[in-house]
Amino acid sequence: MTRRRVKILIVSLLAIVVAATLRIAAGAQPPPAAQPRSLETAAAAAANGKAIYEQRCVECHGPAGRGDGPAATLLIPHPRDFSLGRYKIRSTESGSVPTDEDLIRSVQQGLYGTAMSGWGAILSDAEITDVVAYVKSLSPRFATDAPEVVVPGAQVPSSPESIARGLQVYDALRCASCHGSDGRGKGAIATEFKDDWNQPLTAANLTEPWSFRGGSTARDVFFRFRTGMSGTPMPSFKGAATDNEMWDLANYVVSLGRKPVWSMTADEVRTEYADETVRAAADPIRRGKYLVDTHLCALCHSPLDDRGRIMPGMMMAGGQIMRVAPFGDYPTGNLTSDKETGLGSWSDDEIRQAITRGILRDGTRLPPYPMDWPAFSAFTREDLNAVVQYLRTIPPISNRVPRPSRPFLPVYLWAKFKMLILQIDAPIVIFPGNAGTPGAR
Amino acid sequence: MTARSMVTRLLVVIFVVALVGFCVFLYLVPPFFTASPETFSKPTTDAAPGVDGIADPTERLIAARGRYLVVTAGCMGCHQLPTPQGPDLSRYLAGGMKLHTEAGTFVTRNLTPDAETGIGNRTEEDVKRILRSGIYPDGRVVSYRVMPWGSYTSWTEEDRHAVVVYLRHLPAVVHPIPNAVLTHTPLSDALAIEEVYAGRDYGGAPKK
Repeated sequence: MTRRRVKILIVSLLAIVVAATLRIAAGAQPPPAAQPRSLETAAAAAANGKAIYEQRCVECHGPAGRGDGPAATLLIPHPRDFSLGRYKIRSTESGSVPTDEDLIRSVQQGLYGTAMSGWGAILSDAEITDVVAYVKSLSPRFATDAPEVVVPGAQVPSSPESIARGLQVYDALRCASCHGSDGRGKGAIATEFKDDWNQPLTAANLTEPWSFRGGSTARDVFFRFRTGMSGTPMPSFKGAATDNEMWDLANYVVSLGRKPVWSMTADEVRTEYADETVRAAADPIRRGKYLVDTHLCALCHSPLDDRGRIMPGMMMAGGQIMRVAPFGDYPTGNLTSDKETGLGSWSDDEIRQAITRGILRDGTRLPPYPMDWPAFSAFTREDLNAVVQYLRTIPPISNRVPRPSRPFLPVYLWAKFKMLILQIDAPIVIFPGNAGTPGAR
Repeated sequence: MTARSMVTRLLVVIFVVALVGFCVFLYLVPPFFTASPETFSKPTTDAAPGVDGIADPTERLIAARGRYLVVTAGCMGCHQLPTPQGPDLSRYLAGGMKLHTEAGTFVTRNLTPDAETGIGNRTEEDVKRILRSGIYPDGRVVSYRVMPWGSYTSWTEEDRHAVVVYLRHLPAVVHPIPNAVLTHTPLSDALAIEEVYAGRDYGGAPKK
């Protein structure tokens, strides 16, 4: 028998109880053929848009547009709740509804730096218009309010003088208190924010213009100051600065942008990666959060509700019910810093051992899947330590998860016989519900 | 005691010993819980092709970053071909594992740059869009429970780029992936889904 990681037919059986979760996957019928525009009423457009919405948008924005699709919990920023009619990226006054063009643009090119990709390459212009009509119908605001469009003063072209004046505006408006004196948080007073929906938020990194939600031209940046980003701490600076000053500021912000790695030379990439390593070492918790977010931890270490969504308020509290044939039940561990039921009382070594070698504190061995410790064994020492440091900062959630359990011996042997000799697929089955016992918060 | 009863007894003993031995074998194999963890982790992490052969120095640097992300993020956990001998490490990320769900069976795609069966014909943005939003080039959105894009979406755009650069430099493997087979869904849902999956699956799989 080979000693490789897996010597069996592995078939992961992700049992998701609600077909709704999956039918998202489907772009069910082909999108309705575009009608001649002239014949179309707003209602017909919304009906077309609804069909497209239900195929393309519900995974994140949810069936009723409340921003509560199955994937929503994982996404930061969260998907927009269309029922409120409040939008960040607008060309309209603070508090006003956006114009159709604003919404169409957001769908077409996406919102950079978020999970919202541009649909321009996939949907036709007519389809996007219809989806926008439907999305507008989800909020009563659009029926009563008219967008108050901002008409900007003449654009000030970028020049060294304009950029220098922009720097003065940057200081006068105290942009550095959130964005830092270098545009990426250096010396920032406020670093942790919540938006109006109580979701965590970070100030934009002004040196990475490709992640500016609404685009990175001076005009895009101008509108972000001028209109504010509703629901976030980014206010409208209308009245605090003149249009000319805001154009100077926009030119200054654009000048802060660095090259992205895909436009760099080898030396520049090397320098950039070295800088990133230095920044990661300086702020290991931030680095650890990045690694935890991108390495699927929350996908399994959170209990699921019967719609396949992470249970509200239970992210990283473990308790997802996972049956790994033929080895037994492996409910996922509570990774929060709770002293009683989480990692609070684990030592750094114990956490590292579990992540990279699949050995729990009590000596329990985990099979090499679905907990992917063979992959995590490739983490650098610095990254592994960053992950441990970040896990320690996750607010405690009490959820006592039972130990992994092996099945009754004859059952175990029979299941192994099926797997090894009969070579019947040995599935991993995930069930909704919480295997743990949530305690008092 | 007759010679015959001794033979019988011997046969019984041999049978019992063989049965117990077989049970012990079943109990201990695969040696997930007895062999050192590195027995399993090292071959899988080492199987990721290196980047030293990439001629362009910029690409090489970026691909090295991509390799680290691809290895640690566990792409190989699903995008592998499970065989009775274990994952086929020589065909790195060539896909083929099945994922059964209530909506049907999905098969992980071939991520190598083969034009016909892999992602060779996909644009950079096609691949990034899947990693960012779970949107396939034909507009389907995949559940985050099947393809965990809900986590990969948190990659910075530069890291996502590095992943794509690394995938582009993998050895191309010709490995046609069958289309998803949908079963077991409520009729109304099954009708809706089937139409999309039939013959239009992602990954350049041959059309039915």
